[in-house]
Amino acid sequence: MSGNDRMVRIYVIDNGGQWTHREWRTLRDLDVDTKIVPNTTPLQELQKEEIHGLVLSGGAPRIGLASTLGNCAEYLDNAKFPILGICAGHQFMARHFGGEVKPSKLPEFGQVEITLCVDDDPLFTSVPKKSIVWESHNDEVTVLPKNFRKIAESDNCVIQAMGQLKRQFYGLQFHPEVEHTQYGEQIFKNFINLCKG
Amino acid sequence: MFHAEKFIEKTISNLQREIKGKALIAFSGGVDSTVCAALVNTAIGKQLIAVHVDTGYMRKNEPEQVQRMMKDLGLNYRYISASEDYYQALKGIEEPEKKRKIIGEKFIRIFEQVAREEHISYLVQGTIAPDWIESGGGLRDTIKSHHNVGGLPEHMTLKLVEPLRDLYKDEVRKVARALQLSVSERQPFPGPGLAIRIIGEATPERTELVREACAIVEKEIERASEQGLMERPWQYFAVLIPIKTVGVHGDKRAYGNTIAIRAVQSVDAMTCHYSTIPHDVLDAISTKITNTLKEKVNRIVYDVTNKPPGTVEWE
Repeated sequence: MSGNDRMVRIYVIDNGGQWTHREWRTLRDLDVDTKIVPNTTPLQELQKEEIHGLVLSGGAPRIGLASTLGNCAEYLDNAKFPILGICAGHQFMARHFGGEVKPSKLPEFGQVEITLCVDDDPLFTSVPKKSIVWESHNDEVTVLPKNFRKIAESDNCVIQAMGQLKRQFYGLQFHPEVEHTQYGEQIFKNFINLCKG
Repeated sequence: MFHAEKFIEKTISNLQREIKGKALIAFSGGVDSTVCAALVNTAIGKQLIAVHVDTGYMRKNEPEQVQRMMKDLGLNYRYISASEDYYQALKGIEEPEKKRKIIGEKFIRIFEQVAREEHISYLVQGTIAPDWIESGGGLRDTIKSHHNVGGLPEHMTLKLVEPLRDLYKDEVRKVARALQLSVSERQPFPGPGLAIRIIGEATPERTELVREACAIVEKEIERASEQGLMERPWQYFAVLIPIKTVGVHGDKRAYGNTIAIRAVQSVDAMTCHYSTIPHDVLDAISTKITNTLKEKVNRIVYDVTNKPPGTVEWE
């Protein structure tokens, strides 16, 4: 794409999730310039081209038990653009900034209803207070990191969504990229808007 | 957005550049391999040979249907009947991953044989995104080894060509519609076929049972969908669970196997919701299966698991 309609460039960092490619597809379907990048890629290499946002995918690593996730720490420390962490990406973000991640008492797989705890968050613009999302997790964030606020919860998981407004870092325990999540595409649209700045 | 026309144009020109000489396509008769065959056929014409392997784990009347499809598409094709080989290779095998790997390797060995006879160096497969995603590798956990990815042997002589690798089923269907292929709405069927719809050993006898049960499930659900009683599911079939339970048949004790009915709604197979089949339809399926398979099957159950946590197929 060229001309005055600037194309937004958002890369998907692959942490080995089953739905990494779905994140790529959702962004591509929304006309974002996107590609899947291994999580071992140094930030400097990522930034060879101007990027406007990153999605940290989910993955099989147990963030409740392990402390590293490729180069995700480097991205979180130095990024000057919004980052959306999903599932393991979300858990890593929480842990990295001083929150806690533990094995879930009741892991969630499949359909779950979430409730928004705030009504003004830009990532959830046009998403109703209660909606259906799909989940697939063994661990969860139990303590919020400093400067993050809780945005959504479910019956069995206290932190379904969290955000840091200043740096525009967001973490979602559920999966907005799958077809069955009711407002998943809307959440991606909102994230793209944040990346457009 | 995904544009089928653009994709077709780009893929055909890529294929013309990539394939130098003759190619073989693994043709199952499903949407993916049919779309692939049509694209490669346009790109290289008679340099392409479609090979269909009858593994013995195909659905009822499928071998005949697939041969007709290959003819109708104007493909240069070979039909290989290998049921006995497959039954032999799967003798005593119960572990699902082992079944998938044996089947995957056998496919390749057969293709290699044809390739040697015909001096072919390229193998075209209709691999789509969920196949390689679920097969794992690198950081990704193996959910199941799809026969065309995780089931491939380490050493193979053919060069792989997979033009649909980044597509999901709904996108492949769009391409099929753009190419006006009648197969566009056909329900997915796994490469290892009925072998993974039999829990435990996939013997010829058990295969006959699940083949008949699958045919009944398909027929009843298709009829109900056409009559507007339910939405046509994304995929619908029967699974044989070789667990015996007690029943009563005409005042006599019966002790037969169990069949599970599985039907799901999905767009891309990455998440699925189980289908709500009306009770009358379940009733018809249950009665038909037990009356047809008599002493072999006397219990029918209905799978109400979503993906996740389940997967569509049981193995």
